[in-house]
This record gives sequence, C-alpha cells and structure tokens, in this order.
Amino acid sequence: MDFPRILSGNWDVPDSHLLSVAKSRGVYSQLPRALAMAPAEITQIVKDSGLRGRGGAGFPTGMKWSFVPPAEKRQGKSVYLLCNADESEPGTFKDRYCLWLDPHLLFEGMAIASRALDCHVGYIYLRGEFRYIARRMEAALAEAYAAGLLGKNILGSGHDFDLYLHVGAGAYICGEETALISSLEGEKGQPKLKPPFPAVEGAWRSPTIVNNVETLAVVPWLIQHGAAAYKAIGTEKSPGTKLFSVSGHVQRPGVYEIPMGIPMTQFINEYAGGLLPGRTLKAVIPGGSSVPVMTPAEVELCSMDYESISTHAGSYLGSGGFIVMDDTTDLVAALTNLLRFYAHESCGQCTPCREGCGWMHQILCRVRDGEASEVDLGTLRDLADNIHSKTICFFGASAAMPVQSFLTKFRGEFLDRVQRRGAGAA
Amino acid sequence: MPKVKINDVEIEVPAGTNMIEAAKLAGFDIPHYCYHPHLSIAGNCRMCMCEAETPRGPVLDIACNMQAREGLAIRTESDKVKAVRKSVMEFLLVNHPLDCPICDQSGECRLQDYYMDHGQYDSRGIEAKVGKHKRQDIGDLIVLDAERCVQCSRCVRFGDEVTGTGDLRLMNRGDHTEIGMFPGTRLEHDYQGNLADICPVGALTNKDFRFERRVWYLRETDSVCTGCSTSCNTKVCHQEGEVFRTLPRRNDDVNRSWMCDPGRQCNSGVGSLDRILRPTVDGVAVPDAFETLAARIKAAGAGRTGFVMGSGASLEANWALLQVVKANCPGAKVFSVAGNNAGAIAKSDGLLMDADKNPNSAGVALLAAWFGGIGGAEDLRAADLSLLVVLEDDIITRLGGNPAEAIAYFGTHNNPTAELASIVIPVAHVVEMDATYVNRQERVQRVRRATNPQGEAVPAYQALEKLGAALGRAPGTSMPTATFSAMARAVPRMNGLDYKALGASGRLLAPTVQPVAPAAPVAEAK
Repeated sequence: MDFPRILSGNWDVPDSHLLSVAKSRGVYSQLPRALAMAPAEITQIVKDSGLRGRGGAGFPTGMKWSFVPPAEKRQGKSVYLLCNADESEPGTFKDRYCLWLDPHLLFEGMAIASRALDCHVGYIYLRGEFRYIARRMEAALAEAYAAGLLGKNILGSGHDFDLYLHVGAGAYICGEETALISSLEGEKGQPKLKPPFPAVEGAWRSPTIVNNVETLAVVPWLIQHGAAAYKAIGTEKSPGTKLFSVSGHVQRPGVYEIPMGIPMTQFINEYAGGLLPGRTLKAVIPGGSSVPVMTPAEVELCSMDYESISTHAGSYLGSGGFIVMDDTTDLVAALTNLLRFYAHESCGQCTPCREGCGWMHQILCRVRDGEASEVDLGTLRDLADNIHSKTICFFGASAAMPVQSFLTKFRGEFLDRVQRRGAGAA
Repeated sequence: MPKVKINDVEIEVPAGTNMIEAAKLAGFDIPHYCYHPHLSIAGNCRMCMCEAETPRGPVLDIACNMQAREGLAIRTESDKVKAVRKSVMEFLLVNHPLDCPICDQSGECRLQDYYMDHGQYDSRGIEAKVGKHKRQDIGDLIVLDAERCVQCSRCVRFGDEVTGTGDLRLMNRGDHTEIGMFPGTRLEHDYQGNLADICPVGALTNKDFRFERRVWYLRETDSVCTGCSTSCNTKVCHQEGEVFRTLPRRNDDVNRSWMCDPGRQCNSGVGSLDRILRPTVDGVAVPDAFETLAARIKAAGAGRTGFVMGSGASLEANWALLQVVKANCPGAKVFSVAGNNAGAIAKSDGLLMDADKNPNSAGVALLAAWFGGIGGAEDLRAADLSLLVVLEDDIITRLGGNPAEAIAYFGTHNNPTAELASIVIPVAHVVEMDATYVNRQERVQRVRRATNPQGEAVPAYQALEKLGAALGRAPGTSMPTATFSAMARAVPRMNGLDYKALGASGRLLAPTVQPVAPAAPVAEAK
C-alpha cells in the first residue's frame, strides 16, 4: 500500500535525532512558511485536515485549539502549549520512538502550533521512566535553540517560543491532561475538576492546550501538504496515518505507521507478522489497556479506525496500543494483572476509583486463585459499573471498561474459575 | 437572577450559586462530604451526584460543581441518583474500620448519617481492609486517625485557604491514600479546632473532647464567644449544667464557619475552682452583701464613689449600672477603662483574633457616648475615691494599681481585682444568662442561657437590680427583654432594634453616629 510515512519517515535514518540530519530530511522546512502565515490560517488547516488527537480520546485537534479564548478575552494571561509525552498506557509505546528518533519533528510541530495559538511558552511533559530520552532531547533542544529555531524571535519572524522539557516522576495518571498540569505546576499529580477546561483555565489558571506527541508531530506535514492531502489518507472520520504499537503473541511486535482504515486482520497478519505458529487468536485489546477487549469475531469485522472499532466492537482505537492475545492466554490472570496496575496507579482523589480499583483487584485475585464464587463476579461487575463515569477523570472508566468487557465477552472463562472451586470442594 | 428547577420546584437563586446551596433553598438536602460553603470546590467525594436534565437526556454530575444558570434543572432523588449514593457509601465504607463504638464522631458522623439515609445495603466487603496510621498526634488540639478518613480534603483546603499554613496533605495514592503531615512538622496555627469540626467523619478529633461525652447526650445552645471583640458565633454544647465544648456557629458576616482555639477555651472556666460563688464582705460570705454595699456607697457619698463600666460585661449589665447611678447616685463618677484582664494574650492575626480581648468594648462605647461624661483610665487614677464599684473588668491589672480606698467587685472569676475587693458579688457566666454583646463591627448579638448560674451568682443586670433596690431605686433591669427594649428606646443608635428580632446572626447598630444623648440625664449625672 502506498502512503506517506508522516511520522516515522526519518526513523530508519542513522542519527536522525541530530539537527543536521533532521534538517537534511526536511525537518524545520515548514517552520518559516508557518511563521509567515496568519495564526487562524494554521488552525484552519488543522481543522480541515480532520486530525484527531492521538493520545487516546481522538478529539479533533483543530477544534481543541479553537477553544482558546481570543487575546482580548484572556485578561492578559499567557497561553501555554503542553506536549503530553507521559506515554504510560500499558501496551502503548509509540511516542517514545517519536521522541527518541525524531525529536526535531516534534519541536517543529510545537513551534508551528505555538504560532497558531499565540503562545510563547511550551513544555514537553516527559514520562519519568524516559530519563534516557530526556538526555537526548535536552541535547536536541540545545541544538534547536543554537540554530535560532526555538527561543526569541524565531528565524527573524518576531515570534517567540520558549520550549522546556519537564520530566515527571513516573505516574500513569499524569498522562491525564489536568493531572499533567497539576504535576507541571508542582502539585501532586491529580486530575482537576472540569469545568473549567484547560483550554480556558489550565496551567497556572491560564489557557492551556495539551496535545499528544504524535498529534503535534503531524502538524509540519499538514502545513507542507495541506489538509486535503491528509484527508485523502485513511477514512472519512479517521483521516491520516497512525502509529500502532503492537505487543503480545505476534511474530513481529513493534511500532507501525499505517493509514487508518485497513482491515484489522490484515494489520495483524501482514504488518505484525501474524500469530505464532499453531496458535489461534483469543482476544485483542486495540487501543491500550483501558479500552474494552475484542473477540476474534469482532476482529474479523473491524478495520483500524475510530469508527469501525466503536461500531463493531464497542471499543476504542485509543492510543493505538494493540495487544494481541492467543489461545495460550489466561484471560483471568491477564485482567487481574491489568487491575493490579489500575489499583496501583489510581491517584486516590475521588471515592469510586480510589476504593473501587483496589477492591476489584482483590476480588480478581480470588477469582484467579479459584477462591471466589459466582456472587463475586456479580459484585465485580457492579463495582465496575459503579466506577464507570462516576469519577473526576477518565481513569475510573479506564479501569472499569476492561472488567466490564472481559466479564461480558469471556464470561465462560471466569465462570470456569469460580465453578472449579465448587468442584474441588465437593 | 437565574431560575433553576430542583425536583420540579422552581426557584430563583443568584447566578453562580452551586446546586447544593440552591437545593437547600428549595428545601432539598443533597448529601456531601467534601463540599464546604467556605472552602473551594474539590468534587472528590462524589456523594452529591445529581441528574441534570440536558438535551441528550439526564446526565449524572456533581451538584457542588454545577452552577446555577437559567433553565438548569436537576433531580436529586431519582433512582439513578439513589443508586449512585448507595454505591459511593459502599466504596467509602469498604476500607473504613467501622470502629463507631470507640469513635468520638459517633452521633454526628456523616458516614453514619448517610448510611442510614442513603446506604442501607448488605455489606459485600469481605476483602482485607487497607491499614493506615492511627492515633497520630499532629497538633496541640488534634489527633488524626487516617483509617477513618474519607479523603474529602476539607482539612487540606482549610490549611491552604483559611490559615495559609498548607500543613496537611493527601499522601500516597489509590486506596492507600491518607491524610498526613510532612515528617517532623506539627499543626502550628490557632485554628486547629476547626479541623475537627469540618472533618465529616472521625479522622480528625479534638483532644479536648475525645472520650469526654457522647454527642447525643449534649444539648446545643446558641451563644457568642466572649474571648475577644470579634465575638464569633458559637454553639455551647452542654449536659446537665456542664459545658463540654464550644463549637463555631456559621455566621457569614462575622466568623463564617470558624473560630480560634483560645475562643474554644472561653467557656471551659464555667465550673472552674476560681469561680466566685457567693457574695463576700471583707472575705466573709454574707447573706446581705447588697445592703452592705448600698450602705457603704451612701457612707462614701456620691462625690467619692465611682463606678466602672465593664467591657467584659453584657450590654444589659452596663445599662443597669448606668441606671443605678442615674437613679441613686447622680453625683457619682462613671469610668470605662480600656485594656485586657490579667492573663489575656492580646494577639491579633487579621483573621478572627482581635487584640481587644473584651467582647463588649463597642457596647460600652455606645452606652458611654449616650450617657456622657464617662471618665477614662487617667481620670480614674486622678479621682479621689473612697469606694469604686467595678463591673466585671479586671481594673487593677488595667490600671496597674488600686485607684480607690475600697473596691466592690461584680465578677465571675477570681482575679487581681477580686482579690483586692472588700465586697465581691458573684455574677453569671456568659453561658448562664440571656444577654447581648456588641462586637467590633458594632453588631449586637445575643447569648442564651445554656446552664444555670453556679452558686449564688445571678446575671449582672439582676445583681445590679438588687443593688439599686438596696439603694432605694431599682433600675428595672431584672428581665433582659425589657432591659433591651428600654435601651432600644433610649439610645438613638439602638432605635428600632428588637431583642427577639436580633435572631441568630445579630443586627448592626445604626451606622450614623447621632448627636449624643438627651441632655437631661447627663445634667443629672453631673
């Protein structure tokens, strides 16, 4: 299939993280053009392209940008552009390659976005575990500053954009945009109550746009090729290409850039190299650990885009963390492991998630160990329902959806576990 | 003002009112833990979830973060809302130790109350509970039990927003989250008691009240703190004549929901050993102290008798004093001495504590201006007095010496003035009488009788009534209502005030200072 590698085009080039190499590959070529454009023009291109946020929610990026109040309504407050590089959703490992292999593409994207947003200060919030990337990025930032591509009066355009790298402490919740803001501000990384939304009142109570690494890295390509070229790739509602990080029981796990909309089976078999010999597919988590699991029958129906996955499988494309599980997988153990993660990572702020995640994990441990009854499965389901959409942020739903979907779609496997206990006792 | 609808009841509220308050106005109680009217919105307990009607159908959201706007309609009692409340209760209690039998919060605990109102489920919590730190001594007044905590963060916000000390924090994550202090630190501020008050559960308890009394035995009487001229509104909690604690009572114009720690101690001396319990003359308890005092006043003669108004005494008592002088000793001098009593710490913090530790300085100033010719400390030192009648204030400490040959003291407790006095008359403590005080804002506020006066004490205005009778003309101040009415008629700035209509939050004096007083009584006094 013929499509442009918008994000991963430079990944195979040696030393692609160095400014000289990046420049030779065309990075920063769009910055002068964009700086000469009117801010509204840039936003319009992004809007027209139909680009959807790549962090997981898939919210239209151009629309998010347009929520920033115009200068006359900002009461003199600055606008902040934050890059969410706290990639920590289990199963998702695409952004780290963008940051490691092509940091300058992200910087260019952020500089262009800053022009569109009338913003002069940006932060890259990097996941705490990515310290090795931080060192490389600091060097890349220094190179970009020295070349006048960041900082004051970029390329003589009169536009200032200072970009800082901020390394988090390694909390999953800090990938949630308001928690990211809390953490950046020096507070405990906990989500904030919405409304107000960050675009109106975010970091330091100023208008703030938080975008994923992959989202921002697409922006230079949009400036170069225009919205129509982007829309020509992918499907109507999911335009463009997307990075997918494939893990699990496939022959070639890794990160793949593909145009949206190709059949899921094709993706598994052609890109990820198919299942291991002699194995059959049992389940797929398509968009990072938080989204509902899919059955093999649903995989047959779906293609790799937002709308098909939600229509046919009631799940989400999410962050593109594509986890494949074959027939050797113990799904009860898999779900227990997932819930161990959520119980550990719940920020502990609001009641249902704080108390519920730990509780669900404890019940699942008993199910896994054959010490539970069918009543416990009912309790588990109730707890998940009582957490979902009752919390401040989306974490509660993220922990609840795997439980709900595993229990619904693979109920037999759970019933086997609780019934085995009965048999053993008799 | 926007119109909102709560369970089909339409009500007009100020724009921006949150829906918990709006619902209260409409007569519906929305349960909540983290919301507090005088703290910022945290939205973390999830107990106040209601259904808001939207074009897409009903949507569950928290009432505390929902602001009134035209047309907003919510339901607080739908099946879905009830189910959410029940589940939130289940989550809150799953790791709660359920140690109600030994918990001081029992009886005024929101976990208990809301379980009965909104929980009532069969427990499914069979997992091991998460253990946390118990019995932590975090301040002079506060003990923290992290296991009982519901992580509502009220105390955290109190430290951040009210005292500005930022001392308490939510530590750790997930179900291991607990309230705590940074290592090596303690609560250092003067408002610790409020932490126990705003804690909706038994996590933060007040050392002064721990294991003292079950709250359901206590009766609450509205009162006012007499610790300083701020006069925070209070509830005096008492049982069978014993006062167990004093809590702040909400008055947005005076103290919002708070009071200081020294203020909480104001009523702890009600039954203390240094209370003056019976009238004494020259150190001997006598049945006819008023007659003796009257005789000595007459013997000294009006010209060499002085009277001192009490900035610690009620408005009624000061009025009674002036009426006794006016009717019986028109030639006597009246004084008022600013300052604090022995042992007072004159701390002022710009929040609630005022350096003027007298609850009625403004009331004394009001009556003094009306009466006219009142002398100050210098006048009193210069006066050549044979007998000085002192109402409640510790005049010896304030003057730094004895200005008269003999002192007659009307007071509640022993102090330097009482020790020097040849005649001592016991009067009722503030919790033992109905009266009014005027605070630094010139707000007239009522205190109510919670317990009976100790020993032979009576309210000071009644004691002065007896003195007046012994002198020949009683001032007619035995009843606080009638006394107040008389003042309201006579004192221009009090015109129109009604004792009963002072209500729970008091009334301000007329703002403009009227020309001082009718001429006649002043002329008489001179």
